[in-house]
Amino acid sequence: MSKPTANWEKVGDKFYRKVQLYTGVFDPDLELDKCLVVGALGSGAVAIYRDEGKVHAYRSGQASKSSIDIYSCAGKLIRRITWEKGTIKGIGWSEDEKLLVVTEDGAVRCYYDLQGDFVPFSLGHGADEHGVVSCKFYSTGFVALLGNNHLISVSRYDEPRPKLLAIPPADPIVSWAIIPPAYSLSRSVEVILAIGTTLYVVDATDAEDRNFTAGPFRHISVSPRGEFLAFYTDDGKVWVVSGDWSEKLSEYNSRAKTVPKDMQWCGSNAVALAWEDEVHLIGPKSTATKFYYDAFVHLLPDVDGLRLLTNDVCEYLQKVPDETVSVFRLGSDSPAAHLLEASSLLEQKSPKADDLIQLIRPSLAEAVDTCVKAAGHEYTIHWQKALMKAASYGKSVLDLYSSDDFVDMCETLRVLNAVRFYEVGLPLSYDQFKRLTPENLIARLTNRHEYLLALRISEYLHLPVSKIHEHWAVAKVRHSTADEATTAQLIVKKVYGKRGVSFEQIARAAYDEGRVALATELLNYEPRAGKQVPLLLDMKEDTIALDKAIESGDPDLIFHVLLHIRKKLPLASFFRVINSRPVATALVESSAWDSDRDLLKDLYYQDDRRLDGANLLISEALSQPDVSSATDKLHLASKYLADSKTHATHRTHIDDAIKLLKLQEQFDKDLGLSPSGPAPGPPSPGPSSHPASYVGLSAHATIFTLLKSGHTKRAAKVQSEFRIPDKQFAWLRLRALVAARHWSELEEIANKTKKSPIGWENYVNEILGAGNSRVAALFVPKCTGASAKERVEMWVRCGLVVKAGEEAVRAKDGGLLEWVRERAGAGAQAELERLAAQLKGGRGR
Amino acid sequence: MAPITPLRASEISEKARRELLLLLEGVRGKKNLVLEKALAGPLNLLVKFSTLQEYGVDKPFFLENDNVDSSQRNVVFLVRGEKAKTVMTVAEQIKRIRRDSQIEHEFSIFWVPRRTVVSDQLLEEAGVLGEASVSEWPLFFVPLADDVLSLELDDAVSDLYLRKDPTPIYLSARALMLQQQRYGLFPRIIGKGDQAKRLADLLIRMRTEVIAGESSNNQSRSYLGLTPSSSIDSLIIIDRDVDFPTVLLTQLTYEGLIDEVFNISANQTEVDSSVVGGAAPQPGQTGSGSTSMKRKVMIDPKDSLYSTLGDANFAVVGNLLNKAARRLQSSTERNQLSAKTTAELREFVARLPGYQAEQASLKLHTSLAEEIIKYTRTDVFTRSLEVQQNLMSGADPTTQHDTISEFISRDVPLPTILRLLALESTTNAGMRPKDLENFKREVIQAYGPQHLLTLASLEKMGLLAPRGGAGLGSIPAAKPGTVTNYAPLRKNLRVWDDEVNEAEPNDISYVFSGYAPLSVRLVQSIIQKQTLANVIKPSSHPQASAQANPLAQGLRIFDDATKYIRGTTFDETQKGEEKAVKARSMLNGNHSDASKTVVVFFLGGVTRAEIAALRFIGNKLREVGGEGRGSRIVICTTGLVRGDSLVGSAIETRRFG
Repeated sequence: MSKPTANWEKVGDKFYRKVQLYTGVFDPDLELDKCLVVGALGSGAVAIYRDEGKVHAYRSGQASKSSIDIYSCAGKLIRRITWEKGTIKGIGWSEDEKLLVVTEDGAVRCYYDLQGDFVPFSLGHGADEHGVVSCKFYSTGFVALLGNNHLISVSRYDEPRPKLLAIPPADPIVSWAIIPPAYSLSRSVEVILAIGTTLYVVDATDAEDRNFTAGPFRHISVSPRGEFLAFYTDDGKVWVVSGDWSEKLSEYNSRAKTVPKDMQWCGSNAVALAWEDEVHLIGPKSTATKFYYDAFVHLLPDVDGLRLLTNDVCEYLQKVPDETVSVFRLGSDSPAAHLLEASSLLEQKSPKADDLIQLIRPSLAEAVDTCVKAAGHEYTIHWQKALMKAASYGKSVLDLYSSDDFVDMCETLRVLNAVRFYEVGLPLSYDQFKRLTPENLIARLTNRHEYLLALRISEYLHLPVSKIHEHWAVAKVRHSTADEATTAQLIVKKVYGKRGVSFEQIARAAYDEGRVALATELLNYEPRAGKQVPLLLDMKEDTIALDKAIESGDPDLIFHVLLHIRKKLPLASFFRVINSRPVATALVESSAWDSDRDLLKDLYYQDDRRLDGANLLISEALSQPDVSSATDKLHLASKYLADSKTHATHRTHIDDAIKLLKLQEQFDKDLGLSPSGPAPGPPSPGPSSHPASYVGLSAHATIFTLLKSGHTKRAAKVQSEFRIPDKQFAWLRLRALVAARHWSELEEIANKTKKSPIGWENYVNEILGAGNSRVAALFVPKCTGASAKERVEMWVRCGLVVKAGEEAVRAKDGGLLEWVRERAGAGAQAELERLAAQLKGGRGR
Repeated sequence: MAPITPLRASEISEKARRELLLLLEGVRGKKNLVLEKALAGPLNLLVKFSTLQEYGVDKPFFLENDNVDSSQRNVVFLVRGEKAKTVMTVAEQIKRIRRDSQIEHEFSIFWVPRRTVVSDQLLEEAGVLGEASVSEWPLFFVPLADDVLSLELDDAVSDLYLRKDPTPIYLSARALMLQQQRYGLFPRIIGKGDQAKRLADLLIRMRTEVIAGESSNNQSRSYLGLTPSSSIDSLIIIDRDVDFPTVLLTQLTYEGLIDEVFNISANQTEVDSSVVGGAAPQPGQTGSGSTSMKRKVMIDPKDSLYSTLGDANFAVVGNLLNKAARRLQSSTERNQLSAKTTAELREFVARLPGYQAEQASLKLHTSLAEEIIKYTRTDVFTRSLEVQQNLMSGADPTTQHDTISEFISRDVPLPTILRLLALESTTNAGMRPKDLENFKREVIQAYGPQHLLTLASLEKMGLLAPRGGAGLGSIPAAKPGTVTNYAPLRKNLRVWDDEVNEAEPNDISYVFSGYAPLSVRLVQSIIQKQTLANVIKPSSHPQASAQANPLAQGLRIFDDATKYIRGTTFDETQKGEEKAVKARSMLNGNHSDASKTVVVFFLGGVTRAEIAALRFIGNKLREVGGEGRGSRIVICTTGLVRGDSLVGSAIETRRFG
């Protein structure tokens, strides 16, 4: 076994290693130098597209059609997408392995599953006019540069909403780069443009000139976490600047005459420059190392390193992880290195093993941890095993050690080795795997149709397997050539009853493939009613969709289906559909009440719901601006109820309303008020204001207002018209007179009238309420129905203490008199004294 | 391990707050916020306006005013998206701004509590979907107090009972489902009422759907989420239409009366500034309309003084205030005089802000109480209360008609009249058809013909009905289960208590000075059987153990009573896999029954008096160690109601002319 340090290279004081992942990657005929090559983050798939700007060797029988080829890192062709859609100006990946292809006219296709299925959208903002020049991608979005230097940013692909960023100067752009929103200070995407000799930073709101003079900058590169920026100047220098622009960290002179074709970060520590067959790796403090190839090399940046791709080899260049350094570095005396040594001695059955262990005893736990971690970073199985064995040995010596990390690492390594296998071709590093998460790894495997492996890994890691089953079933539906029944049976047998499998998705896939019968069959297995609705609508099974929506209880869905049906069906059949479903009817009614009165009218007519129909007309009458149109509507309402006996009283009320409105209109005319005047006051306007109009008042308010303004005859007319009982009329009169302060009239009542339908106490109360105790007092003696005590109280409230006293005496109630005396002022005391004496005297007699 | 407290108010508000701020953060730069009026209250409870400003909100506007200007590039709409009408309003406003404004705007719409298919469809038809970035703010429960969670759906009553629109049921189910996913299933769902039954069915249905969709949405969700909770005892759902009378009655607790007189919304009430003293309008208020005369007052359940007052019967509030005033005075004065040592002095000074706050609160509540006393002394208040009490205690309703008629002649506000009429109708299984017709005529003549619609709406809601069946006189008798029969209930549940004690309450009847709310009695019959049994049928030997009352066995009281109450009765248990149940109880620590939570959900709204009554029960349960069932009661509801708002949802506000 070769030493693990064989591929190490020292750059400054740090080690870098170049791990050979796969050999014999591509067909030697594939001219990589004439292709665009982009790789997905996390050692994902590689998309290769022939660069149209370059001349190709003519080969007969091939490549007359251009295509985008998706390969695994090991060079296995996953999918070939034939392309005839125009010039590609940007091609890139999102972190979840969606392939984005941007054409010159601003059309974007998002290939979401590596299998050629895509969602198109368009950039807009003048992209078709000015043309897309180039694009830069980050994990969840991208920025496109247009011919007129406008920048368009797309920040998500599930609901792409292209946004125009601030507009930079129109001078030619030498190079550009983006800082992903996750790492920029503003938390939205920022663009660095090299224009002339300076740099601009552009975000959503402004374009700021950074005032550099050292340009023009040929390349700009942003480190994976945005903490450093690297620039390649025209005179062959590489500058590294901190992400907040505060500090220039290093400068390296490449002494190269030609501008490199690419500059990328290798992790966050080093910058790689690539010429055709040469790569310079520049570490901190301007130290560098060089690699030479005999073929054209492409740089594929990743989060923790850099993939180098040539025709025959795929290599991974990364900084050697600290744990690995401490174990393997020549002459390392770290505990972990000793532990590894001890473990190999143990294998040779040498007693020295124990000596070594005793030597590092105090830091043994740390050594075990380091070995476990270093194993994770190792690519060769031999050294993984050696390290894990060492860790295991160390941990057996320790009394107390939590093996969780060890166990986790064993599992992780098994998974990593499985997916690194060349037929799968996912050479994930340990850090990439942690960042990707196992769930997303499973998603990648299913997208590559590696179902068995995905299932095994899921079970091994205790992850849900529903998505895999579902994906499998969808693929089955798309590609199986068996007849519908067999396919359905096969799928149901395998998948039914498994938690979390969405039959709706499978059915939709079947429907999209045009296999309607299969879709219907499969949809029956979906337990969630709501989920079935959209597909059922697409399948034109409207009534079933409505039933399912009602079953789900979600009013939104029900309404959605109803809107859909309403557009499709003639009104009569629409009503037939909803008629038997009360919830649907209620929803239609409730929304139509706000927006579509005519529909409601038809509905009520059809259902013969006369009362509702009439009420709807009344409601419309209320919205009419003038009396005549309102009464017209009311007449209609009245007619609507004409033949119905049960609603006779309702009809009378409507007729009364018409009568009242007409009468009120008449009053307005007679009294010179404008019916359409300013908004009428509240039903019983305050004493000072005269009504603007009678129209709209209730019968009572009409009488009240008439009486208040002194139109007694008219008030009487209203009373007789509407058969308002005397009792109520008396109340209205009393309140109106009090409100208008017509004291003389009230006095007249007090003097002339013998009987009141509402008793006289109310007169006292109301008048007192208005503050006129003099007039109120006139009514007290008339309250013959009240008890003496009540009368005494009334007198007191009118302020006539003496009268109250007399009343008490008349009732021969000493207690009451005493009560009066307590409330009397000084002036009345003498009189009351006398009365008290009289009462006592009376008793004495 | 500390037991998990389910449905904790602070947790819920913190989550809602975080989610909103995250959404706001997603819109870069300054923005104008357009919000629906109904959301202003909840928003104010959750987030201070100054915080919103920190997150870039420049000016708030109300959607209803349609006045958002073009001063900012970003315009954010915060609107409920369940109703097509509001969706259309949003679309119209976006179009208007786009038309009128010089600059290009960025529109964002945050739908509350969820983005609907219909809203997308409508926006698309209006041609604005592509312009706006749409997200959702999943605001379901808004905590009004530690034990009160409200969905704050203002339209819930009219949706449920007038328009029969199931939206509130669905939203309630979603809200409860979220809690179930967090804390585990309600082991038992029990309740009363047709709509309540639908809610329970929906919950059970959603459970199966969530299980079916579990790992497809969220792979990391644990299976434990859907096993019965070990910290929740049960969910009790009470449909409002089971018990309308409780809403129609005038609430007699202090908080209830504040609500009746000033109208509390989202813990805030507007009081004339002459009452509480002119004060600087608080700058942090969401909303532009701080009119000159009205002042917004926070009714804060966390205020120490208020927490003793709020649920007390108003009759004793005066005393409580006096006591508080005396205590405050003595503690401040004595301390001032005798604080000799520096340590004492320091302590006193440290406590000073507390005293000041208490003083302010005391002043506020004294003036509020004075105002309420003025109100309760009016002739109309006392006499309508008398009518209510007579009706509830079972007097012949016809004897009350004169008073109601007189009120109508005196132009007493319509809601008061309608409450009395509805109260008579709902407690007596309808009114005599002749009386009903008479009153209808009087109402129409006194308040205007537009109230033809009001009365029709009330009939639809079941608040007014002719005795002997709906609409047609020919139907012989009401079907069982469609009306509530109060005569047997007065005995079986003792909903009327003659020996009420307001100062030292011994029964929930104190909240209405005599009437024990039926809804709360139902809850009692489930969770506080012993006490209730003893209230209904005091055992002959006072020394005999309370445990012996045979009525308390099983669900006897509940079953007996529900026979006479309208609506479906249901009782479902939710079980889970045995293994998972064990795992959960291991994880959460074994809860003794006594510390479990009982969730009471009022579909269609709850009154403040009922909340007070439920709190009273909760306190009692804690005292005696809880009769083997939960002792923490959390009240969830679609919104808070009072009589005026209940009948108000039926009242037609337009007029002819």
